Amino acid sequence: MKFTSITKWEFKNTLKSKKFMMIFFLQLSVLFLMIIIFNSFVTNIESDNSVSITPSLSGFASMDVLDQSGLFLKLINPADISIVPLSYNASMSNIAEGKTTGFLYVPGNADQKIRSGQTIDMTIYLDSSDPKSSVVRDEVNSTTQIISQSYSNTLTDSVVPQNTTIPTVKQESTGESLPLQIIKKVMLVILLFLPLLLFGNMIIDTVVGEKERKTGEILIAMPMSQAQVIIGKSMAVVLTISLQVAMWLIILLIAGFHIDNPLLVFIFIFLTSIPIIGITSVVAAYSKNFKEAGIGLSIAYMGIVGFLVVPVLLYLSRKSFIANISPMTIVMRIFSGESIPPTDYGISLAAILIVSIISYWIAIKLFERDDIMFGPRPGILRLIYDLITFKKF
Amino acid sequence: MKLSALAKKEGQDILKNKIYLGVVFVQVFILLGTFGIALATSIASDPALLDQYGATSALKVGVPDSIQGSQLESDLQKQNLNLTYYKNISDAQQSIGTTLVAVVGFNSTTGQNITVKTDTSNVFYPVVSSKINNAVNEYQTQKKLASSGLSNTEIQRIINPINLQVVNLNENHPANIALDSSYFVEIMYGFIVPFILLLPFFLASNIVTDSIVGERERKTFEVLLMTPISSSMVMLGKTLPILFFSLIQSVAWIILLDLLKVPIYNPLFMFIMLFFMGLGFIGIGILLSMFVDSTKEANSAITIILVFATFILFMPLFIKTSYFTPILNYIPTIIMVKIGSTPNIGPDILISGLPTILLSIMIFGFTVKYFRRERAIRL
Repeated sequence: MKFTSITKWEFKNTLKSKKFMMIFFLQLSVLFLMIIIFNSFVTNIESDNSVSITPSLSGFASMDVLDQSGLFLKLINPADISIVPLSYNASMSNIAEGKTTGFLYVPGNADQKIRSGQTIDMTIYLDSSDPKSSVVRDEVNSTTQIISQSYSNTLTDSVVPQNTTIPTVKQESTGESLPLQIIKKVMLVILLFLPLLLFGNMIIDTVVGEKERKTGEILIAMPMSQAQVIIGKSMAVVLTISLQVAMWLIILLIAGFHIDNPLLVFIFIFLTSIPIIGITSVVAAYSKNFKEAGIGLSIAYMGIVGFLVVPVLLYLSRKSFIANISPMTIVMRIFSGESIPPTDYGISLAAILIVSIISYWIAIKLFERDDIMFGPRPGILRLIYDLITFKKF
Repeated sequence: MKLSALAKKEGQDILKNKIYLGVVFVQVFILLGTFGIALATSIASDPALLDQYGATSALKVGVPDSIQGSQLESDLQKQNLNLTYYKNISDAQQSIGTTLVAVVGFNSTTGQNITVKTDTSNVFYPVVSSKINNAVNEYQTQKKLASSGLSNTEIQRIINPINLQVVNLNENHPANIALDSSYFVEIMYGFIVPFILLLPFFLASNIVTDSIVGERERKTFEVLLMTPISSSMVMLGKTLPILFFSLIQSVAWIILLDLLKVPIYNPLFMFIMLFFMGLGFIGIGILLSMFVDSTKEANSAITIILVFATFILFMPLFIKTSYFTPILNYIPTIIMVKIGSTPNIGPDILISGLPTILLSIMIFGFTVKYFRRERAIRL
């Protein structure tokens, strides 16, 4: 009897389970939700002149303005600040009572004065006790700079002789902006890797379930090694994940996402699922029950997500070679159409191989130990001691 | 008395559970991690803060050797840019994307033909670009005005037509904020604070399903229902400790944020909001527990429900469209942002919290009614 028999049983049972199919399609609905979020982010970014990923809270801060000339009011961007035209006394009273974050006073004849080349004095009163005063101050500062620059240019042109040679400026830029890369590349690559983290419960179910149902003894008595049991069960989950990844890829391609070389993308995600399921198997082999396994899995997955995502951000900001250790970086580079040297593939594949070997070895060794399967279960420190001293390992 | 006995037993179960306590510590790391990231990104994206903290060595700009002694070099240096000199400008351009953020080319003989090449993918691109633009604009204006024959006073009036004076009021009660940056304030109050304060309630939904489904799995629920205690009391006895466990965590995070100099204003109103939202979360957890057969099923279902809850609660924080504004004002996270960041809140904000309170009471009330009818027992 080989591990493939276990894989076949588990895979068939999975596909026959109505509850599994419901979860499978609920996950697809999560994907649709993600696509909506993704598209709204991209639309938001592309419609703006400045690119940012900050919360866009309308009316986050408030500011009273006395600007009878209209010089300032017509140019301020009221995205995060609610602007209220009000008198001086009422505004100062509002600040004193904490009803508004700031008050901007613009002289009544500001428009005339600035056109005639005179300096105008504006005053912004800020409520120091309100943490949002910096939001109001920065918005007023940036609007003032825009107005100032515009009038400065007009006045300069009017006083400079026509035959004056003006230094020309030619601006060029390389690369895509970081926020846009984060939205377009990082979010897409996270979407592609999401199925890898959604099926952890399956391996928990098949391994911890045997312990809870007390069927572990029967499994161990079967004519196959514990290694074959763990690998057989893991491969069934890897197959299920690959099915989901394939479906997600097809949906994303239909939804209009640009993914270069989808087959290579699929192969790399498939390969990455092997060590992730290996780590999940370690958690499953050690856990006593579903609850413990669920929490252990959440903590393990935080580490996995960190290992996958942080190098991606490192690669985007520094083009670091070591960032290729994360398969997520390689997948992002593949679907972006980058030319990738073999050494970069090599470092990622080596990481997949090493983590796979170590995780499956630990999972098998834990599964082979009677004290872990049937109790009393040793603590983690005791296991580390056994590992160092080669006892029972 | 019976209620207090059941609540005490549930409370002790929670506090004895090492996994729940472990998750509480994980939340501390999430809080400190997100705070650190917000702090670092705020400084990295703000030219004034970078100058203030002297962290300008990363703003590397390549310039030709020939720029030395020119007005443009002086303008670039005034912007605190880290200038690296190259004999050949093409060598500098090859270093863009690796060691340099930008390269400024310049014809030193004529003082003309400025070329600026920037790497937009660099994390410091916005700051470097803004500083180079300021330097180049200043250089251009000075060059233009040099031939106008105007006095220095007149030139300064043209360069700075607006004089903005900042007057800080209420300085005797300053906001004790970690970083005086608009980006920091927006990201902390606009996203991280509601996210951190709601984390315990995400955990609460899991504890509820564990508590109820666990009893059913261990076949101890029948015994509990046989005791001379009403269904409502069973429900309260199970949920109150979980609700208080979550609220205590949220209060602890409010105190920790205060220590990190991100003060949460109106803590009483925030507590009331969290209390009712907690009721809603727990109500959903109980309702779900009545429809599933095992902890495993409950965990899968609650994960999917929490994904949708995250979408409903946090997406509105990033929506810009104005036609959604009337609805957005009633989203609980947006109300939390307003309550937590405003020293003196008006009655309108409190009124906008009423739908959340009513909805939570309805969810919890429906759960109690359904529980009383079905007694959550599907043997």
